Amino acid sequence: MGRKKKKQSKPWCWYCNREFDDEKILIQHQKAKHFKCHICHKKLYTGPGLSIHCMQVHKETIDKVPNSLPNRSNVDIEIYGMEGIPPQDLKDHERQKQSTRGPDSSDEDEPASKKVKPEGLLGNAPPGMPGLMPPGMVPGLVHPPPGLPPGMQMMPMAPMGAPPFMHPGMPPMLPPHMMMQSQPGPPKPLFPSAVPSSSPGAAVVGADFKPISSGATISAPPTTNTPCSSSSSSSQTPKSSTIQATGTSSKIIHPLEDISLEEIRARLPKYSRGSSWQKSEDAGSSTSTSTSEMSIAVSAAQQAAATQAAVIQAKAQEVQHQHMAMMGRMAAAAAAFPVRVSGPPFSVVTGAPVMAGPTMGVLRAPLIGGPLMRHPPIGMPPGMIQMPPGVMYGAPMFPGMIMQPRFR
Amino acid sequence: MMKSQAEYKLKSPPDDAISSVKFGPNTNQFLLVSSWDSYVRLYDVTANNLRQKYSHENAVLDCCFTDAVHSYSGGLDNTLKSFDFNTATESVIGTHANPIKCVEYCNELNCVLTGSWDHHVKLWDLRTSGASGNYNQSERVYSMDTCGEKLLVATAGRKVLVWDIRNMAYALQKRETSLKYQTRAIKAFPNKLGFVLSSIEGRVAVEYLDSNPEIQKKKYAFKCHRIKEDGLEKIYPVNAVSFHPIHNTFATGGSDGYVNVWDGFNKKRLCQFHQYLTSVTSLSFSHNGSVLAIGCSYFLEEDKPPSSLPEDTIYIRSVTDQETKPKYSSNS
Repeated sequence: MGRKKKKQSKPWCWYCNREFDDEKILIQHQKAKHFKCHICHKKLYTGPGLSIHCMQVHKETIDKVPNSLPNRSNVDIEIYGMEGIPPQDLKDHERQKQSTRGPDSSDEDEPASKKVKPEGLLGNAPPGMPGLMPPGMVPGLVHPPPGLPPGMQMMPMAPMGAPPFMHPGMPPMLPPHMMMQSQPGPPKPLFPSAVPSSSPGAAVVGADFKPISSGATISAPPTTNTPCSSSSSSSQTPKSSTIQATGTSSKIIHPLEDISLEEIRARLPKYSRGSSWQKSEDAGSSTSTSTSEMSIAVSAAQQAAATQAAVIQAKAQEVQHQHMAMMGRMAAAAAAFPVRVSGPPFSVVTGAPVMAGPTMGVLRAPLIGGPLMRHPPIGMPPGMIQMPPGVMYGAPMFPGMIMQPRFR
Repeated sequence: MMKSQAEYKLKSPPDDAISSVKFGPNTNQFLLVSSWDSYVRLYDVTANNLRQKYSHENAVLDCCFTDAVHSYSGGLDNTLKSFDFNTATESVIGTHANPIKCVEYCNELNCVLTGSWDHHVKLWDLRTSGASGNYNQSERVYSMDTCGEKLLVATAGRKVLVWDIRNMAYALQKRETSLKYQTRAIKAFPNKLGFVLSSIEGRVAVEYLDSNPEIQKKKYAFKCHRIKEDGLEKIYPVNAVSFHPIHNTFATGGSDGYVNVWDGFNKKRLCQFHQYLTSVTSLSFSHNGSVLAIGCSYFLEEDKPPSSLPEDTIYIRSVTDQETKPKYSSNS
């Protein structure tokens, strides 16, 4: 008797009459089996939820809850686990189970489940077929019978692997307790490959939410120094830092360079009017971190006034390597937007001499591309320069209008 | 239920990428739009027409209302301008050394804050002229938001600084973001408990301001704005975040062209709108949360840009409680 009681209190799914050991599993089952959108496979929480989802997102009407018994397909009844089941159905279910069990001896229950009967059918047995003892199913689910197609009966368990909505993102992200440790270390291993900023910066900042202590961090802008000093690889353009790849199976749709889309866009020649910001980023940290390529590029730039060709070449080399793709993109984009030149870049000429200043050494990749690109090729048809299209923006290397570095 | 006629395009949109859309403080009617075409425009979204516009010397990167008839804006010309829509007069308020990326208004203290790629935030007290303060953020400012009397600044190098606007002598907090990629946007919860950060790597973090470890435990992040195509998962920048002013839920817009609405406290997605033609660059809920403005512009994210660039478009979408209200309001 006691055991029967236990069985009766087992949660069951209103939509398919299946029983579960645990309401949690039942809810997972319902989400996977009955509340899953057939179009985008999103798992909703209730039947009405599914119907609203389909209506709003896919503009489709759902008139039946998927995989439900014919008389239980109502999408308007809000059922979540055992909540919301019409009282009449609850009673019927109980009665039915009793009548099913009655004939079967009570010890039939347990073996039945272990014995793995052809449960695949039973699972969907309509309530009108009491003889098929739906209750026996449950254990069968937990210990899957060998012959069972996993996709089918194991469904209720499956959500473990793929929790709904936002949850998938969470486990890999930040186990909260990890974040709580006070060393700077713990958060990092979570994204080992990812932290593009230098260790000094990270070290100073420490744990994420540590209140700032003194001005220590301010003196160490992290992202800037590291890449320069570390970019020893020969022909590579020194990068300010690039966006880490995420792996082979995924791709971040973003230019390689780790600066904002706005900064990249601002380099387009049409936005070059009177802006000189590209050179001055990181004015504070611009000291001695330059690579040889950089100085070459810089000196090349300085000579630009005299030898245009040399510059173009030097730049072509620089640019070609890493910025090819990006610039190509820009070229295309620029082609689509009419280049708007409001006037000659007035500040340019005055700016040019400053180039020779010592701070030039710090010019980093984006800057190389940047300033050179910024001035529209006034008076110089791009075709004149025999350069890959991507370099076009570099072309306007007219003497005197190359760049107007303010801070470097 | 919801039909797509709840959404329409604004007429006479900007001629270049849309950098920011912002609804007026107490209206569903007026929308301020800044664009890379160097104009700031005021739209009447109810009548669907362009009311006024004024220009900068160069692309405008951000704008904000300070009250129903005054706007502030800044951009690549390094200049903060204000405009009075009643008198149609503009004035130059001040400049940064580098382009101004963010312009925010703090209602509590009646001041405007600008964040720039010159690593500084400037505070502009509207009662006086000129900048009242210039504060080093040690990196380029990428995104900013006010949170009551606090200012949240997200910079390059994945840093977040929290300031008390009443006392900008020091930063209250300086954090590294919990996201491992460049920050795109930061927005405070209307209930001021925390903020949402989005990154270029299809991910959004929900963080809390209170540094109490118990509270900090609740922070989390989740993936979004990703599209699987032939086994390759394309991960898009999440460019825009806008909070529903009442429900504390928020919409995110990505370069995948989708807008999702999330319930950050219950970790649920409430809905996803249809895919827009190109990247969603800016979002703004109106003051009562009944309308969402969606700015769409292609933003050079891809290696190979589409052959014909999609138009710059602003969509005005009526949203329902169903789309924006937490389903299970465990906390109201």
